[in-house]
Amino acid sequence: MKIELKVNGVDRRLEVEPEERLLDILRERLHLTGTKEGCGEGECGACTVIMDGKTVNSCMVLAGQADGHAVTTIEGLGKRGSLHPVQKAFLEEGAVQCGFCTPGMVLSAKALLDRNPHPGKEEIAVAMSGNLCRCTGYDRILKAVERAAGEVEQ
Amino acid sequence: MKKRGRGLGCAWYGTGYGNGFPDVSSAFVEIHDDGSVSVLTGAIDVGQGSSTIFAQIAAEELGIDADEVTVISGDTDTTPDSGTSAATRHTYNTGNAVIKAVTQAKAGLLAYAARALHCTSADGIELKDHRVRVKGEPARSLPLAEVVSQARLDGERFLGSESYTARTTRVNPETGQGSPYWPYAFGCQVAEVEVDTETGNVRVLKVVAAHDLGKAINPLQAEGQIAGGIAQGVGFALLEEVQLSEGQIKNPSLSQYLIPTVLDTPEIHAILVEEPEETGPYGAKGLGEPAMLPTIAAIVNAIDDAVGVRITSLPATPEKILAALAGPSKT
Repeated sequence: MKIELKVNGVDRRLEVEPEERLLDILRERLHLTGTKEGCGEGECGACTVIMDGKTVNSCMVLAGQADGHAVTTIEGLGKRGSLHPVQKAFLEEGAVQCGFCTPGMVLSAKALLDRNPHPGKEEIAVAMSGNLCRCTGYDRILKAVERAAGEVEQ
Repeated sequence: MKKRGRGLGCAWYGTGYGNGFPDVSSAFVEIHDDGSVSVLTGAIDVGQGSSTIFAQIAAEELGIDADEVTVISGDTDTTPDSGTSAATRHTYNTGNAVIKAVTQAKAGLLAYAARALHCTSADGIELKDHRVRVKGEPARSLPLAEVVSQARLDGERFLGSESYTARTTRVNPETGQGSPYWPYAFGCQVAEVEVDTETGNVRVLKVVAAHDLGKAINPLQAEGQIAGGIAQGVGFALLEEVQLSEGQIKNPSLSQYLIPTVLDTPEIHAILVEEPEETGPYGAKGLGEPAMLPTIAAIVNAIDDAVGVRITSLPATPEKILAALAGPSKT
């Protein structure tokens, strides 16, 4: 089937198989490998992307369901030298260890701050609770999102 | 009713492979003619930060910045074997190998610099702030890059290739005597929990964790290791259990085997205790695995303190706590 979607601001037309997931077309066809596959069953959040302003697990979205929608992946945020405030805050707080959860974490934080630039601690924790991390204990990740919220505010 | 309690957990842990098993790390080092350095080791950085530690060590030894050190790691085509990223061993074991290899590369540089600076002995030369200096006479100095590139034109190369082996012995099965691990890591933690006596649910509110790591080469990373250990300890204490049925794992997915999310993890306060380990790089020893051990005992003790029940099998699930609360009181 043919689908049309916007990925990181660029219009894409793709011929996809009905059983292909959004995750598959991002990684295998568009080579946007910043999006990670963790559990493949919507539990871990490693494959989080933003679709029309809302976070989704891209392993739980069929490619066909992304037809006509706008998707933001980690590649659509900052670049080296011009990082998004959330990416900068993750670096400055040391919120990264192995890095596998990081793209999903950053996108969940970005979606939260786009929705509410002044979230409280509780709201941050709830917004990040769909993203599992086995290394950091979440401590620095929470601090990073708080820091990013402070900077977005300024 | 929600009741709060506090508990203490203590742990000691032998780092490295132990029991006389060959615990060897190796490193290659080259000082380049722009004053930068390459460090090659087989040590894999899986996020714990070993590559950063090696860059810091080489930089400290050579008086340069850590970002001038290129660490190439874990490539069997190019790097020497440094064993596994396991047993809380890389900062100590591979860190020592890096120091030895840098020291070897540096020895040739110091000897060359002594001649260039008309100093009678290489012992009189130090490397600081990107310069090669005569100790006690800062005016007699040359830029590091200039010395190395001049040496290169003279046909000299500053290379190091070294290994470090942790010293342990097997335990004598007759007497139980021996030195099975070295070094040992120590830690203790206090957990504060809230137990819901109606549901049996436990929330860990806060953990204060003090760990002896000898020397914190990178305090930010050390705190990260402690926080990660605590989160895994919370999972071990309250959530995680591999359920087996006739040899098959019944819960092999994250929808059935639950690990802590950000909502399950406590406020964490880390205390870094620096009691130097004489055989370690700058007195440092490992921290990674020991960070999760005291958490478990601290939480189980805190549950006891809160509601007066002793949980003796992990994880301390709401079902077990409710059953214990319904049973005869231990006091």
